[in-house]
Amino acid sequence: MQFVKERLGDIVAGLVTSGVGLFIVTEASSYRLGTLLRMGPGYFPRLLGVVMVLLGLLMIVTARPGGLGISVSRGQWRSTALLGAAFAAFVLTIEPLGMLAAVSVTVFLAAMANDRTPLTTALVLAVLTAIGCTLLFSVALGLQIKAF
Amino acid sequence: MSSLLSDIALGLSVAASPSGLMYCFLGVFLGTFVGVLPGIGIMATLAMLLPITYHIEPTFALIMLAGIYYGASYGGSTASILLNLPGTATSAVTGLDGYPMAQQGRAGQALFMTAIASFIGSIFGVILLAGFAVPLSRVALQFGPQEYVALMTLGLVAAAVIGTGRSIRSLAAVALGLALGLIGLDLNSGVARFTFGQTVLYDGLPLVAVALGLFGLPEIIANAGRRELPKVLSGTIRLRNMLPTREDWRRSAMPMARGSGIGAFFGALPGTGGLVATFVSYALERRVSKHPEEFGNGAIEGVAAPEAANNAAVQAAFIPTLSLGIPGDPVMAIMLGVMMVHGILPGPGVIQSSPDLFWGLIVSFVLGNLMLLVLNLPLVGLWVRLLKIPYNLLFPVIVAFTCIGIYSVNNQVTDIIVLVAFGLLGLGMRALKFEASPLLLGFVLGPMIEEHFRRALIVSGGNLGTFVERPIAASLFAVVALIILLAVGANLWMMVRARGQVKDA
Repeated sequence: MQFVKERLGDIVAGLVTSGVGLFIVTEASSYRLGTLLRMGPGYFPRLLGVVMVLLGLLMIVTARPGGLGISVSRGQWRSTALLGAAFAAFVLTIEPLGMLAAVSVTVFLAAMANDRTPLTTALVLAVLTAIGCTLLFSVALGLQIKAF
Repeated sequence: MSSLLSDIALGLSVAASPSGLMYCFLGVFLGTFVGVLPGIGIMATLAMLLPITYHIEPTFALIMLAGIYYGASYGGSTASILLNLPGTATSAVTGLDGYPMAQQGRAGQALFMTAIASFIGSIFGVILLAGFAVPLSRVALQFGPQEYVALMTLGLVAAAVIGTGRSIRSLAAVALGLALGLIGLDLNSGVARFTFGQTVLYDGLPLVAVALGLFGLPEIIANAGRRELPKVLSGTIRLRNMLPTREDWRRSAMPMARGSGIGAFFGALPGTGGLVATFVSYALERRVSKHPEEFGNGAIEGVAAPEAANNAAVQAAFIPTLSLGIPGDPVMAIMLGVMMVHGILPGPGVIQSSPDLFWGLIVSFVLGNLMLLVLNLPLVGLWVRLLKIPYNLLFPVIVAFTCIGIYSVNNQVTDIIVLVAFGLLGLGMRALKFEASPLLLGFVLGPMIEEHFRRALIVSGGNLGTFVERPIAASLFAVVALIILLAVGANLWMMVRARGQVKDA
């Protein structure tokens, strides 16, 4: 058990790789395989899946001591979640509400991802960026995105 | 000779036209800007500017995008020297000796020498590009599918094995990238692969969203919560007291020459690039130096050599991209994507069918590098001041520009979902210590390599031996085998040495 714990980084990486490879093989097995002379749509993906399974096993066999990559602090969770919300807001608002609203909400949420940014600064930045983006992209460059 | 002159004249007519000069300047200016600022990568900038490139001629679009690429490799060293915080990944090595120089009050000399070294490396790379791309593309026109499979395999294996230190992980990343590249309708059979019933996936995943998700998002997320930047060690930076001493020049000359050579070699090899070149050239200089103990404590060779290497690599990376249509790094993949959007099919035919594009680009590289010399020597103070912009106000704007840039490519919100999904994949890969570049190269080459593999087997009647019966393909595969053997050998040697040390202890 100690052996596995010490080599957790490589072993998890190997398991994930093999798992993804296995998934590719399973999914590709519903496509026609064909022959080497006339390869079907399933030939190349199956090859890749098998290669990934083998590479994953190789990682596990050759595992060297070393833990998982990065540890995440609480602040990082917060900023990652808010950035995710910023992108989600853009996806949800750009088509129904247009550029002004979408950019304002996105910039505001993204700005809040840094806990040093005061609320008023974030609001001002959001409005200014939204106006600037609308002028630049919709008016000056004539992109096919409606302003509001 | 006369044909070379007329080619250059053709290039000048494109690159020195008012629009050519304007887009070139815009590119190198923005490139320096994002290169100087840590936390905004080249990929993010390219994606933000994509909407603009669809409205201008492809040649000018490429001139501008290329300018961003090599401009950033000039600017990247500034933050590396003054803050010990690399502006671009490839300038990390420059900080090893550049930052100690700044601590000793010699920041000006370090900045001056990086600008000169960057210029020399770049021009060396451009000359190689002008000299080799045309003959290489002529040879490549004779290539059959076997040679293409061999060449792409070489690129992918080189990307995975050289310089990453985790070859097995990188090879797995390549395989995953190849598989992701297959998503969508298979052109030969009409079967929808890995689409899971989503019709938006029939055209495959959008390259820009994938690339930006993998490289740009983890960068933004890692920096979003960051507090203020560390103190800038600029002192007084004016051109007059930046001039290096005669001793500095003498010590930097040969390292710059060697760095240019190393950089051009790794840059031209598809799959490797500036990052590997900087590490190799730094290691070489320390080995050949008469005073290796100075390295890490402000040796000027340690600044000059990797900067020359980095910039030579950036320019040489255009050789496989323009003459073979095979991208050597993620930025080149985006460039090829832009060409395809404009209806230019990348490959060995491009140089012959659009000589104005090829020679226009080459001449613009020379002009752009001259502009960069001006931007980075007399105007360096401007960039130093730029380092004082608070990042917490900058990145929300970057997020907005990124969303608009990605959305405007196809006017589909699903592209932004792909962006976020690949951002998460990028974070997961970082956590498990996988590299993202091999995955992206696999993604770009996936459909091409499958198609050529299939064709090669059709023309040979299903005989796998066809890949080693043709001389060019066989020698390329021999190089692939050699790279793998060397990597396995190096790994075994390290394991044996590690065992030995345990025994000694």
